[in-house]
Amino acid sequence: MGKITYKRLKGSQNMRQRLLLATLKSTPVLIEDIHADDTLPGLRPHEISLLRLFEKLTDDCLIEINETGTKLKYKPGIIVGGSHLVHDCGVSRAIGYFLEPLILLGLFARKTLVIILKGITNDSKDPSVDTFRSTTFPLLKRFGVPSEGLKLEIKSRGVSPHGGGEVHLAIPTVQHLTATMWTDEGMVKRIRGEAFTTRVSVQLGNEMIYAARGIFNRLLPDVYIASDYRKRSEAGNSSGYGISLVAETTSGCCISADTTVSYPRGDEEEDIEGEEKKELIPAADVGEKLASVLLEEIEKGGVVDSTHQGLLFLLCALCVNDVSKVRVGKLSPYGIETLREIRDFLDVQFVIKPDPSTGTVILKCWGSGMKNLSRKTT
Amino acid sequence: MAMDSGADGQSHKAHRSRHSGASAKKKTKAKNKDQNSDQKQQNPKAFAFRSNAKAKRLQSRAVEKEQRRLHLPVIDRSYGELPPFVVVVQGPPQVGKSLLIKTLVKHYTKHNLPDVRGPITIVSGKQRRLQFVECPNDINGMIDAAKFADLALLLIDGSYGFEMETFEFLNILQVHGFPKVMGVLTHLDKFKDVKKLKKTKQRLKHRFWTEIYDGAKLFYLSGLIHGKYPKREVHNLARFISVMKFPPLSWRTSHPYLLVDRFEDVTPPERVQMNSKCDRNVTLYGYLRGCNLKKGTKVHIAGVGDFSLAGVTGLSDPCPLPSAAKKKGLRDKEKLFYAPMSGLGDLLYDKDAVYININDQFVQYSKVDEMGGTTNKENKRDVGEDLVKSLQAVKSPIDEKLEKTKISLFSHNDRKRRKAIFGDGVDHSNLKSTDEENEGDEDDDSDNDNDEGENDRSNEDNESCSGSEFSDGDEEDLKSEEDDRSNEDNESCSGSEFSDGDKEDLKSEEDGMGNISKWRASLVERASKKQNINLMQLVYGKSASTSNTSTNEVKDDSENEESDEDEFFKPKGQRAKNSIEGLGGGNINTEDCSKSTKISELKNWKEEEVYESIRDRFVTGDWSKGALRNQMSEAKTEEDDIDGDFEDLETGEKYESHQKDDSSNGGIQKEDDDAIEERRLKKLALRAKFDAHYDGSESPEEETDVQNGGKFHRSQANDSGYYDKLKEEIELQKQINIAELDDLDETTRLEIEGFRTGMYLRLEVHDVPFEMIEYFDPCHPILVGGIGLGEENVGYMQTRLKRHRWHKKVLKTRDPIIVSIGWRRYQTTPVYAIEDQNGRHRMLKYTPEHMHCLAMFWGPLAPPKTGVLAVQNLSNNQLCMKPKKSPFEALN
Repeated sequence: MGKITYKRLKGSQNMRQRLLLATLKSTPVLIEDIHADDTLPGLRPHEISLLRLFEKLTDDCLIEINETGTKLKYKPGIIVGGSHLVHDCGVSRAIGYFLEPLILLGLFARKTLVIILKGITNDSKDPSVDTFRSTTFPLLKRFGVPSEGLKLEIKSRGVSPHGGGEVHLAIPTVQHLTATMWTDEGMVKRIRGEAFTTRVSVQLGNEMIYAARGIFNRLLPDVYIASDYRKRSEAGNSSGYGISLVAETTSGCCISADTTVSYPRGDEEEDIEGEEKKELIPAADVGEKLASVLLEEIEKGGVVDSTHQGLLFLLCALCVNDVSKVRVGKLSPYGIETLREIRDFLDVQFVIKPDPSTGTVILKCWGSGMKNLSRKTT
Repeated sequence: MAMDSGADGQSHKAHRSRHSGASAKKKTKAKNKDQNSDQKQQNPKAFAFRSNAKAKRLQSRAVEKEQRRLHLPVIDRSYGELPPFVVVVQGPPQVGKSLLIKTLVKHYTKHNLPDVRGPITIVSGKQRRLQFVECPNDINGMIDAAKFADLALLLIDGSYGFEMETFEFLNILQVHGFPKVMGVLTHLDKFKDVKKLKKTKQRLKHRFWTEIYDGAKLFYLSGLIHGKYPKREVHNLARFISVMKFPPLSWRTSHPYLLVDRFEDVTPPERVQMNSKCDRNVTLYGYLRGCNLKKGTKVHIAGVGDFSLAGVTGLSDPCPLPSAAKKKGLRDKEKLFYAPMSGLGDLLYDKDAVYININDQFVQYSKVDEMGGTTNKENKRDVGEDLVKSLQAVKSPIDEKLEKTKISLFSHNDRKRRKAIFGDGVDHSNLKSTDEENEGDEDDDSDNDNDEGENDRSNEDNESCSGSEFSDGDEEDLKSEEDDRSNEDNESCSGSEFSDGDKEDLKSEEDGMGNISKWRASLVERASKKQNINLMQLVYGKSASTSNTSTNEVKDDSENEESDEDEFFKPKGQRAKNSIEGLGGGNINTEDCSKSTKISELKNWKEEEVYESIRDRFVTGDWSKGALRNQMSEAKTEEDDIDGDFEDLETGEKYESHQKDDSSNGGIQKEDDDAIEERRLKKLALRAKFDAHYDGSESPEEETDVQNGGKFHRSQANDSGYYDKLKEEIELQKQINIAELDDLDETTRLEIEGFRTGMYLRLEVHDVPFEMIEYFDPCHPILVGGIGLGEENVGYMQTRLKRHRWHKKVLKTRDPIIVSIGWRRYQTTPVYAIEDQNGRHRMLKYTPEHMHCLAMFWGPLAPPKTGVLAVQNLSNNQLCMKPKKSPFEALN
């Protein structure tokens, strides 16, 4: 019991899932060769920020990083959670990047998690906070998470490069997750959405909405896209605009898509890529494009969109010892990576069966029986 | 007429009731009483509530009582065959424990048991097996026994009264989930005076009841006849055991565990010779209980420590239930028993050797086998089998023969011992040589004897062909392949899929030409099946061993990862290549994005045919088509799940699909259909059983409730809300699980859900301390428990506990105690504390006299609400424990 045996991993890929699963299962991990061959080796700022977040939420965890930052030793502690926590996510990745592991971590914490996250709320790389509110939370409810406790408030929006957004997140704890049989995708009955603008004219938001509606109107009359115009302190430090759309189906599935347009960050990272400052895409094009993306997601089928596949698989694998069965569209690369990590950490394998008639994939798994060990009983 | 009238006229002498004397008095008294009670019935109003408030209070109390009676239903997730129930026989020394086991075994199997050592498995009925274990008389042994007992028979010396051991054991049982308990009074023949006997029985019974619950069963064994308990009484006891129900206990249903009934040291002898105190490799055998065991699970061997499993193998059941035939009772041949540690059956355990016993019966049997049986069995017979048979052929006096049959296997090759198992003598496969047993298990399943050698090769074929198939998935392609080749492919893939089809194919091959058209017809189907596997392969890489054995799989993974270290000094390009070859097929430092960010190739959704193509996915489209989309796939994937109850699929549609299958696959499907039908029936039966079980009396407390029967039933009818719904949900989930898992083939199922409960498993554990071998005592059963997620970590725990009322002293902070939580027992130093009014924890130097206090100690974590028991000292002669259940919480 005295000696710690580390699970050895390589590279910075799937850092979030790895750290999350390691924490949930309390397996110490040793990750080597993190960006070892890059000109700037070592952990990226957002990865360090993620580690800090994990450290904040857990008790007695041990993080060791070597000088170059290419090697990381992580011994997880007990997930405590708690309220009045504040975390600055930095500006290299959006808050969505942190939210994904944070949600699961919060479910298995000892105390209800209430945390303020600061940084970029909307980004084109990560799911936006609007998507979390509209799509991810309903997804959690499927697995027996009480809906009262789930809360995400957007106090101010921030886009890249300078961020400045702030969200308040509350996640209840659960004893365990319940398994679900979720193969009925239903038919899209309504489309909702939110278009936001920060430090730019409100007109851009309306343009996006108009363009998106133009696409949907042929298919569905029930389309309502709200506009969220932020200014001054609520609008963060940079200017930008974006839109997030959700299609709700008759069986209660939510399929989402979102994007944000803003000036790229002027960090050294981006400089290497040689991206010069260019004109932003016109708002009308953004609306049209995103509407198309949403329709494409709907066409793929499945009970969740491709963005949420990873989360869905994680939830299934963390269920009680029952069979879960879900249907997704084409497996996304991120979903596949998640499946592999789940296999490695939790020893849970999915049965994956394609359904040729609809072009979807049906996955079945036997939950790992994860229980909240740190939860207070009295 | 006259006759009739005469018969009528002949009056019998009328009964003349007494008018005076004792009996007359009695009668009048009874009559009066009756009338009184009648009056009660006649005027119920007189006894109704007078005051409104009182009525309300009584009603609320009744409701409260009703609620308190309800317990959250425990989910039983064991879907496999039931493992034998463990009957622990416990009692102070010299009370007749071994004798009771011996007589019970004799009663069930008609065999005399020379010696009770280790668990003894017997088939006690058509549906039920029992495993008798004698509880050793030390605290450690009692704690372990309490953790695996399904039923505890507490033997009590009637002539002496209760002894401390009984109460100690009861207290231990209470903390660890409280399985069923039955008291058995022995030594009642010591009483000469009948009245005194009656009094004693009464007294003991009531004392027993206060300890457990009113109405707990106490059984009386009146005395010995010819050194055995009376047959009739043993029969009655057996009857009591056979009708007993065993409610699931929450700890055990969430953790897999084994009661080891066979234990062997498989360390290479050279290693032991070099250093007799080296760490050993051992194998542990036993029925899997509790919940499913996954390959990667770590286990805790009670008293030894935590180990990861080096290998798990499912073995054929050494003591199987009789095949389901419609007949009453058990045939003698089916009254099996299995007790390798006791020397019953064929294995006899000594300290350093294992002996095989061969009965005449089995000699006979194998001779028959030699003459007739082995035509289509394997032609190459095992050396071991030959040896045994040659031994039988020897005509020598019995004593010599006996000497010869005692083969000390340790001296040759310790792996050989595993071979010659026990006494059912029905299994052919058991006579194979041990080296093959690992693979052999697989054939036990598929009954294929001749693909053993091909196993590896065919697996490879499977991979290669499936790879090509996935690229185009064409029938043509397969046809063009060489016949032999495709045959083998067929075989290999079916081997992993369904054993039935496999057999069929092989048979047709043996016939000569083989029915090529038949398999060709089913190729399309198979291709689609293969595609499934391929998708899994794409995600998970090459499917690991297809065999039943799961040795070292996890280890391999980690080794692969670890072996990367060696590559440290390789040129950069090469390393990159390597990593590409690996699973990830790319950069190990890819960015972590859940969103796929390619918006480039979008269709133009403004075009009409493009957006019309997904019209049916919207409510504005064709609803029937949209519904069909879900239904079709559902019917397709859930073909097998016929469940009258919870899913209203169109049975017509399903039928069609089966019909199609029938035409393509012929006879195979017929068997399948039978199986499906059987499964459906089983499900219905299960459902009925469930209903009966939970509606009827389920817990012993209810027996006491019968007195206020009327009220009780009424209230139950009323409250059938949440509770019933909960039960229904659980049942539904169970049925869904069974249906979904039945869909899968055996190998995948093993990967997905692990080894099922009720399987006879062989666990291989490496590097256990040599003391386990050195001090192994068959009378002291070994418990192997699976460790749940996160339970292998250590940390500080906070528990609530109370000094036991019989413990003489209070306990002092930082005095070491031995704690038993979950499967574990360990010593630790607690710090006692009490929670003050302001919520602060104040440290206590000593535990309070009669109150609960908090104890903080460091140790392996356990989930909240686990029972805890602490003992200060393991010596036998004094009771010094202070158990109390405790809600539990990990601090950090």
